[in-house]
Amino acid sequence: MTRRLLIGLYETEDDILAAAEAARLRGMKVVDVYSPYFVHGLERAMGLPPSKLPWVCFALGVSGAAFKVWFEYWTTASDWPVNVGGKPWNSLPAFVPITFEVMVLFAGLSTVFAFFLVSRLWPGRRAVALAPRTTDDRFGLVIEETAYFDAPAVRRFFEESRAVEICERMMEEAA
Amino acid sequence: MAEPVLLAPEPLIAGGKRPGQVTSEILATTERRASPLWWAGFLVAFGALAAGIAAVAYLFSTGVGTWGLNNTVGWAFDITNFVFWIGIGHAGTLISAILYLFRQRWRTSVNRSAEAMTIFAVICAGIFPVIHLGRPWLAYWIFPYPNTRGPLWINFRSPLAWDAFAITTYFLISLTFWYLGMIPDLATLRDHTPSRFRRRLYAFFSLGWDGSFRTWLRYETVYMLLAGLATPLVVSVHTIVSWDFATSVIPGWHTTIFPPYFVAGAIFSGMAMVLTLVIVARKVMRLEDYITARHIDAMCKFLLLTSGIVGLAYATEFLTAFYSENRYEQFVFLNRALGPYAWGYWIMVVANVLIPQLLWFRRLRRNAAAVFAISILINVGMWFERFIIIVTSLHRDYLPANWTMYRPTLIEVGTLVGSFGLFFTCFLLFCRFLPVISMSEVKGAIQFGRTRPGAPAPEESPLPAEVHP
Amino acid sequence: MRADEPKRYWKSLAEREGGAAYSERAAAEFDETPFAAGPLGSRRSFLQAAGFSFAGALLAGCRRAPVEKAAPWLEQPEEIIAGRSYYYTSTCGACPAGCGLLVKTRDGRPIKLEGNPDHPLSRGGLCAVGQASILGLYDSLRPKQPLLRGRAVSWQEADREVLKALAEARRSGGAVRYLSGTLTSPSRLRMIRQLLSGLPDGRHVTYDTLPAAAVLDAHERTHGVRALPHYRFDRANVVASFDADFLGTWLSPVEFTAGYSQLRKPLEQSPQMSYHVQFEARLSLTGSKADRRIRIAPEELPWYLAQLCARLEVKAQRSSGARLESLPILDDVAERLWQARGRSLVVCGAEHLDAQLLANYANELLGNYGTTLDLRRPSLQRQARPGDFAELLDEIATGRIAVLFLDGVNPVYDLPDGEQLARRLRKLPLVVSLAERLDESAEAAAVVCPDQHYLECWGDAEPVRGLFGVQQPLIPPLRGRAALESLAIWAGAPKSAADIVRETWEREIFPRCKAKEESFERFWERVLHEGWVEAEIEHPGSAFNPAPAQAALHRVTKTAAAGLTLVAYPKIALLDGRHAYNPWLQELPDPITKATWDNYACLAPATARKLGLTDGDVVRLEAGPERAVELPVLVQPGQHDNVVAVALGYGGHLTRRFANLGPRWLGWRPSVNAGGCVGENIAPLLERDGGSLRWTRSGVRLVPTGKRHALAVTQDHHTLTVPPRLAAADRGRRPIIEETTLEAFRKDPRAGAQGHPPPAEDLWPRDHTFPGHRWMMVVDLTACTGCSACVIACQVENNVPAVGKDEVRRKREMHWIRIDRYYSGPLGDVDVAFQPMMCQHCEHAPCETVCPVLATVHSSEGLNQQIYNRCIGTRYCENNCPYKVRRFNWFDYARDDRLANMVLNPDVTVRSRGVMEKCTFCVQRIQEARLEARRRGEPLRDGEVQTACQQSCPAQAIVFGDANDPASKVSQLLKSGRAYRVLEEINVRPSVTYLRLVRNRREAEEEERHG
Repeated sequence: MTRRLLIGLYETEDDILAAAEAARLRGMKVVDVYSPYFVHGLERAMGLPPSKLPWVCFALGVSGAAFKVWFEYWTTASDWPVNVGGKPWNSLPAFVPITFEVMVLFAGLSTVFAFFLVSRLWPGRRAVALAPRTTDDRFGLVIEETAYFDAPAVRRFFEESRAVEICERMMEEAA
Repeated sequence: MAEPVLLAPEPLIAGGKRPGQVTSEILATTERRASPLWWAGFLVAFGALAAGIAAVAYLFSTGVGTWGLNNTVGWAFDITNFVFWIGIGHAGTLISAILYLFRQRWRTSVNRSAEAMTIFAVICAGIFPVIHLGRPWLAYWIFPYPNTRGPLWINFRSPLAWDAFAITTYFLISLTFWYLGMIPDLATLRDHTPSRFRRRLYAFFSLGWDGSFRTWLRYETVYMLLAGLATPLVVSVHTIVSWDFATSVIPGWHTTIFPPYFVAGAIFSGMAMVLTLVIVARKVMRLEDYITARHIDAMCKFLLLTSGIVGLAYATEFLTAFYSENRYEQFVFLNRALGPYAWGYWIMVVANVLIPQLLWFRRLRRNAAAVFAISILINVGMWFERFIIIVTSLHRDYLPANWTMYRPTLIEVGTLVGSFGLFFTCFLLFCRFLPVISMSEVKGAIQFGRTRPGAPAPEESPLPAEVHP
Repeated sequence: MRADEPKRYWKSLAEREGGAAYSERAAAEFDETPFAAGPLGSRRSFLQAAGFSFAGALLAGCRRAPVEKAAPWLEQPEEIIAGRSYYYTSTCGACPAGCGLLVKTRDGRPIKLEGNPDHPLSRGGLCAVGQASILGLYDSLRPKQPLLRGRAVSWQEADREVLKALAEARRSGGAVRYLSGTLTSPSRLRMIRQLLSGLPDGRHVTYDTLPAAAVLDAHERTHGVRALPHYRFDRANVVASFDADFLGTWLSPVEFTAGYSQLRKPLEQSPQMSYHVQFEARLSLTGSKADRRIRIAPEELPWYLAQLCARLEVKAQRSSGARLESLPILDDVAERLWQARGRSLVVCGAEHLDAQLLANYANELLGNYGTTLDLRRPSLQRQARPGDFAELLDEIATGRIAVLFLDGVNPVYDLPDGEQLARRLRKLPLVVSLAERLDESAEAAAVVCPDQHYLECWGDAEPVRGLFGVQQPLIPPLRGRAALESLAIWAGAPKSAADIVRETWEREIFPRCKAKEESFERFWERVLHEGWVEAEIEHPGSAFNPAPAQAALHRVTKTAAAGLTLVAYPKIALLDGRHAYNPWLQELPDPITKATWDNYACLAPATARKLGLTDGDVVRLEAGPERAVELPVLVQPGQHDNVVAVALGYGGHLTRRFANLGPRWLGWRPSVNAGGCVGENIAPLLERDGGSLRWTRSGVRLVPTGKRHALAVTQDHHTLTVPPRLAAADRGRRPIIEETTLEAFRKDPRAGAQGHPPPAEDLWPRDHTFPGHRWMMVVDLTACTGCSACVIACQVENNVPAVGKDEVRRKREMHWIRIDRYYSGPLGDVDVAFQPMMCQHCEHAPCETVCPVLATVHSSEGLNQQIYNRCIGTRYCENNCPYKVRRFNWFDYARDDRLANMVLNPDVTVRSRGVMEKCTFCVQRIQEARLEARRRGEPLRDGEVQTACQQSCPAQAIVFGDANDPASKVSQLLKSGRAYRVLEEINVRPSVTYLRLVRNRREAEEEERHG
């Protein structure tokens, strides 16, 4: 089906915050907001849930550390034990530094890749150019036309909420 | 840490900028043609790099004997430079990660260049452990990979093995952090630049970023997580570097205070380097409005703090030596202060402890020229700190029969010069082709279109409350 | 030959004939000529084939090797198994001392020289020079062919030239002179006699660069026999040495060291050791071991001896009324000597007749003749008569010599007026040199018929009358022709060296030996097996005549030294310079000065201060008109203030070969100086009266030139005391070397202990036990004389490269074992302590823990192993070694001389650039012994494993063995009260234990020295 998206472009952080909040409270279907920087409070205005990525970070971090400590023990004390400076086969304290480093490495990289994955970011991906200048100095509020709020209603709302520019897009999308 | 309240009086960004203005002003440098000044700097830096490449090529073709090392002093310039550059790197991470967690919003103007500095410094640092090897072509043996030698694994008890992992992790995480922070700006560049070729390039690297707020939300979360990881990482890295010495049996190396001592020293030297770079950058690239006297001031306070810690460490070493009743320990430190390398030791003390005390004066902190001079001195002093720690401990250790002196050769000096060349070449290219200031963050920090006053009250954190750690 | 013998000697001709059978087969199959050819009979050919055909095959790979003598190894000779080491007895030819050798050959080529434990003189020891002389065999710069006026010619041509001249001389009665050093070889002497006998005017003249003429003359006067007594230090409980460096370079150092140190190993059960007092001008190796050392100017020496004799006369109630000056020291010495009469020894090394007469007198008064001095079986070294040589020089000057043979002497180099002599030699009708190498004299000779190395030809020696040693070839000749054969040809009776030696022994020696064997064959078999034999001697009666000595006693007056006196001395490694071609010896640090690759002017600290000179300042030594040499200064504690001491043997043409030595890179500096040689020849400064050189010259001037010269010394800091201002209170002296006095040791065997033992309890679980062997080493600091034989032994055994002066200057010498030398006490007369320092194989090795790639790890037998091919060269291990005994390959050290590479030990890896190396406790020897024992099916016996350093040590100061075996010598010594470990307190648990240094002193004495 095709979706009809209406985009209101705002100039200031205050306006977009107000508009987004208002639109949500009126029950409009806020598809997304495009902003040049992270606007604090906007997630509350849009009513977005917190991200789940911290769990990925935690899980991968822990498993990385666990793997490494096992690997160090296995290589040093089990697979090929060598007498090094009279140290015990299993020199656990000496294994700590690398374990820590590997934990950080796993946690960090995995989180970032998870982020790219869920946000569908990859090299060469075409940016959705719904609104111009949203990477520069404009805030774009994207509202989908619904049964209750037809295009004119939305336009009216945009004008009330001091949008500097209003445009429309048709979007083909497999529902 | 400096308190937000202290920073409150003046705005973070001067000149009441509007977002569009921010974009155009910061991108100006990347879009206008390179200035002769830039070219001059670039050619000098590149010349130095070329010299370094020549020195290393000769080193590889001939052997480590082309350095001034001997049977007693097995490390000198090589590891000194390594520790020095790693230290430089740390300030970047401090600014980008630690200050981020501590909500020091003034960092926004300097964190990009500081992170860039980290990356380049770590690259410079990483070179030395490789080229100092007798057989550099086998450097990869230091990583445990399945091989046909048994498989023969590595010695996880060796601080050098720890180093290899620490440096690698540090480099990758810093790189990711830097790149992640740059994605929105790359997108801005993509939409801003006239040249088609560069648009293609930026489009590729900006991963199709379009400023969707749902992405922004995850982005902030990840950024925070990385900051949270990078903070212990940066501490661990220099701790491990210090263990290269602390776990040995050599008097002057075998010291328990090394980890905090080294970390503080690292941040000290790194901060100085940031200042050196930033003071030049803001002048040349006309970014005084973004990198204001206030930023410099804040960083100077860091210098004061860390210089104090370093000075304390110097004193503590003597105390422990004296208290230890260990004749070898006591000798090493007397030898540092009064022995044949005393000149180096006193350069270190003067430049790292005495000179920085000038920064107690606000007027000096606000005087870019003075701060620049001091920062240079600190860089020199910190290089000598590492040199003194390494060489004076080795050249006169337990058996007097082994005592000898170390003198660097031209080849060694060449490698040091080369590393500076590499560093500045990279940095100049960075200034040329990437936004030296994080636009997306600065835009969030300016006054425009925000009813709230400049500095955020604690409850208005830059982070969504829901995802606090 | 029974295959299950641990060591393999030549056993019998019969067996070798068996080998010959094989060789003929091999020869017939391939190439007859070498075996049929020339005067070298068939015995030579079996030698080539039986043992050495395989060597030939090896040599065939090598350009410079005599390929035409190579016979490929089709069938294995029954005697030789590839890859196994065989030991053959021989006699060392490096110096006339004639120490007994066991030559370790591998696949037909000698790779290592070891002392023959059964030899009555050397008793298993071998000095640095002897050890290094094997490199001379593989010296690719030895001339291969004879030279006729500088042109390489065939042997026939050279012989024709010589024979023509001899015939001419025979006809016209021209004078033929054969000039050589003192030869102890009966065969060589016989051939020379044979050569000269057929001539109307032929004479054999000898001269010694290191003479003992005064000793000989003195005995001619006092005992009526011109003989050099055989000194028996193994019987001397009190030794008073007047400038005799008997542990270093005088006569027979290895033998003397063995005997001397045997009486200087105090044990708890018998806390005894001999007393040694040394009167000398410069600090010699011997002086450094003395319990009491008195600095005297060379001029004062006779007077001191006179005073000693006077005191002894009184004690013996035979006073000849000599005036006694008050000299408490001498009172003490005289008393000690007198108490030990018959078991004491007075030796004098000065070339001064009166001094020697007095020394004889002293020994006579003490009744030492017959006990500690043996005139029945005198030493046959240094027999030269200066008179003859003077005469010869006059003859050369007047040019009335038809043919002059130069055999093993280099007068052009040795003599002050060398150039002049060279010019005169060139004027002579024919000068024939038999030099092994083209030295200065050979360059002046018309014909050079290069002699062979003593390891590639037959020979023999009689170092002490009646004691004969045999030399046998152990490889097909690489260069030259045996002098014996040359002589035989010129005498008109061509014969192989093998035949000549056998004849000598059959005719002259066999009859004199009351041998068990009836047949010579069996006797010869035993001789070759044992390497030496003792023969009966007819004893010339020698009654003592005091008159000349007493005359001397009254003649000698106290003469004060006027100005500076030059003292020329032979250096441990180079002696008189005959081994200057040898890079190992050039790079061997002098035990006292620790300097390499140079000679230098040693000055006493006081003198240096007076003249405002420090180490490395170049001064011009001036002696007489246009007699000057420029030398760097080296400040030498313990030396007499009026003396400037300079080493002999430097600046010879043989050292020109070092012009390009060492790794070449931007910073490279040559090992030779501006003159193109290593060091400076100081012959011009010496004076010759008649046929003898004076090694001391008073009234030399010393002019600073303002130039500097960086000496290549391996040790910069010379004491265990740290610089005063760098020392925390009362922590000045480091307890690296522990020492005590005999008196204290008698009271408490642990006297002098300083280190604190580490805590017994361990933080870690005891994961590592050493159930099998536990290799440990004990080094006796009291016995060690610092002679450095171990350093070279290790270098040969472990393929350690010589790196050249520049690298040594950069403190990158590669020796795996070094000898740390520390001074203590007053700067004037210092005490010296030597400490051999090698890898300590720590149980808690710091080097192992820090290596990231497991390139150095611990073996289950307690060895600290270095795995070269795993090493990536971080040098972290080196930094973390408290003893700094690890050595890094800074470059690829050149090994492009393929002939020289033949000396490499195939059991030891040759290290490449960028890897760390260090002492391995000779793990290859452990392995060899272990395999041998396993083959025998017996457990490894104690003493079966000997490290190279241990084997060569003349003082037997090093003991190596299994500490898990309670019976082993090592375990016994570990229990000794003198045992301590260096840096014990840092708990690295070294496997090397040192035995405390004991000086035969009274504690009070020690107090006033150091207190």
